[in-house]
Amino acid sequence: MLAAGKAIFFDGVTSAKRLVRIELAPDVLVIRDEEHRDVLARWRYDRLDHLVAPSGVLRLGEIGAAVPARLEVRDPALATAIDEASVPVDRSGARERRSRMKVVGWSVVAVAVLVLAAVYGVPALADKIAPLVPLRAELWLGNAVDGQVRKMLDTGGASRPFECGGGAGEGAGRAALVKLIGKLEKAAALPIPLDTKVVRRSEANAVALPGGHIYVFEGLIAKSESADEVAGIIAHEIGHVAHRDGTRALLQSAGLSFLFGMLLGDFVGGSAVVVGARAVLRSSYTREVESAADRYAVDLMSRAGGDQRALAVVLNRIAGAIHPGMEILRDHPDTQARVKLINDLATASAPQPLLEPSEWAALKRICTGR
Amino acid sequence: MTAVTSFDAAPPVDAPPARPANGVVFNGVEGAFWRLLSRGGVLLLVTLGLYRFWLQTDVRRFLWNNTEIAGENLEYIGTARELLLGFLVAIVFLAPLYAIFGLASLATEWVQQLAGLFSLVALAVLGQFAVYRARRYRLSRTIYRGIRFHQTGSAWRYAVCAIFWWGMIGMTLGLAYPWAQASLERFKIRNTYYGDLRGEFAGSGTRLFFRGVLLWFVVVAPFVLSQIVAGAMFDGNLAGEAAKQGTRSGASALDAAGTGPAVAASILGTLWLVIAVAVLYPAFQAMVLRWWISGLRFGELTATSHLRTGTIYGLYWRFVWMSLVLAAVVGVVGFFAVKTVFSAADGQRLPFGVVEISLAIAFYVVTALAYSTIYQATVKLPFWRHGFESVELKNVEVLDRVRAAPATGSPVGEGFADALHVGGI
Repeated sequence: MLAAGKAIFFDGVTSAKRLVRIELAPDVLVIRDEEHRDVLARWRYDRLDHLVAPSGVLRLGEIGAAVPARLEVRDPALATAIDEASVPVDRSGARERRSRMKVVGWSVVAVAVLVLAAVYGVPALADKIAPLVPLRAELWLGNAVDGQVRKMLDTGGASRPFECGGGAGEGAGRAALVKLIGKLEKAAALPIPLDTKVVRRSEANAVALPGGHIYVFEGLIAKSESADEVAGIIAHEIGHVAHRDGTRALLQSAGLSFLFGMLLGDFVGGSAVVVGARAVLRSSYTREVESAADRYAVDLMSRAGGDQRALAVVLNRIAGAIHPGMEILRDHPDTQARVKLINDLATASAPQPLLEPSEWAALKRICTGR
Repeated sequence: MTAVTSFDAAPPVDAPPARPANGVVFNGVEGAFWRLLSRGGVLLLVTLGLYRFWLQTDVRRFLWNNTEIAGENLEYIGTARELLLGFLVAIVFLAPLYAIFGLASLATEWVQQLAGLFSLVALAVLGQFAVYRARRYRLSRTIYRGIRFHQTGSAWRYAVCAIFWWGMIGMTLGLAYPWAQASLERFKIRNTYYGDLRGEFAGSGTRLFFRGVLLWFVVVAPFVLSQIVAGAMFDGNLAGEAAKQGTRSGASALDAAGTGPAVAASILGTLWLVIAVAVLYPAFQAMVLRWWISGLRFGELTATSHLRTGTIYGLYWRFVWMSLVLAAVVGVVGFFAVKTVFSAADGQRLPFGVVEISLAIAFYVVTALAYSTIYQATVKLPFWRHGFESVELKNVEVLDRVRAAPATGSPVGEGFADALHVGGI
């Protein structure tokens, strides 16, 4: 074993570069000034800090030292001798690789845990928190969201009012809608009042927001062939209100934004992962919610005395016009499955139409007036 | 000092190879940097970005360690753990802010607008604050000849100054840029210390202005002029009349309002701006970098940059053709992937399942990471290399007499701002 050799030393106090002679004593590395032979430092082998350096240089410091004194060894034989004498010095890089593998391993575990939290934790937490949100807070939230959603949905310009039922000849339709909602609301006995509007949008759809705001689109009225079909859809939306699904969706969305927006994905291309993951996860949350709203609708229609199967009929008709596919990103479960669920739940009864034929005819004209 | 003299007089066998003692050399091998980046890219993908702190640290170690100033290497002693810790601390501060702005976005309209404005200002100030703090972190983790660098000065004050100057730049359409740079760099460099040696910035805004004003006249002035001309051509009152009338007569009224030529002038001006920026940006960067390096002073030590504009054009040219090759590869692979998926689908069902969507996202992410790797290796690395290698130092013997600064503050726990990914390298 080589016992001594030359190196370069910076004492950490001044920037002066000193040529030194180092001696490998049994327990310590002795650093001596080459000219004067006085001892500049004594570093114990187990206190040596192996630092990153350019290739061909062994750069050492002292662990826990107050100043960053540096010893640079360029003599390969001497570097090998120090490597053998000291445990912290590891020129093979094996320790560094091991610790890096550990980092990667734990990072992968962390990502897996976060994904599990997103898939199971966030919806479970939202389910627990949503019922605890006070009704007053939900009403306030509902009003805020309502303003935004209305702005988003209203794309028709200023030529016609967004809401149906206010124009000439639309009053009778409005009265029919009020009667229909009245019947459903009485049967539902919700803790908050409903605010149902028919609006000018061509899609056959309806949406429920937090705080009892329900939008029925003109396109849905056009596709429906009886008042009970419209009632079935509205009953489904009332189900969302009763289950506080709007609040729950908001909580879930906030949770997902936090998990994927803040903790993960801060790298080039990461935003695509975030957007994709959120879309897939959100649709997986909502499918169970939609089934629950369907069950609620069947029950509500039976209490209101209407046709429990009307919802299934209108769903079937609407689905015929929609392309299949995009299954993973669809909010609602497969239409066939929904129709089967509704028909299985429906009990034998003699339904009374919820509106008189003349009232239904008026409701059909709520957006056109003619 | 005697030690140094004796060392110089009789170079021992293990001395570093002879270098120009007053110069800066970058010894990094590009192949090694490519390997580092591509391995890092794969790990970023696997860990959804959590690996970024380690990759960042590796990149800095590579750049610092291979930079040799007057015969000695820089040393980067920052660790990924510090960055991770700083990131977690940042989340503690940012999460409540995030929640507040989230709630505010649900409130009434004026609260939304107020919150929007406030969040914009807060983001700008916090961003500049983070830039300054990140610089402090990097300097405090930089060691040269066993002596630390450090930075003093209030980050809040810097943030306010920076916002002021960027506002001025905006209002003067870029003409204030030289003085803004000079003022902000003076603030930064005067607060930069190598041991007890304080930095000084001698770059003059006026000089940079006269060097760059021609570029401004070529790039920005035609754009501004075209917008003014377009505004003059376009008669707002007539157009307003046109909007009130129906479509038929409104169209001819719009013609009378000079809409066609006005729009054409505006578009031409914008096109000019885009093309001129693309062509002249490397020249601008080279000019500013040369000016900045030549303004650096550390006591008697002065720097002069001989950076050639052609060098910067060369590196961008390499980046452009490598990007084009990447785009071609991505195009071909993407085309065949889509074709395979479509032929596999039975024509009835649109081919979008979990697998396809995940593959598409993965494909996009891999492309983005590859692009970023090319950018880092062909633009960032050469900028570092050429920036340093263009430097000619005078009075390097100053570097032999520097003493460590007394108690430069806690060296740990400043990774906070650095973790927010500001300040490039």
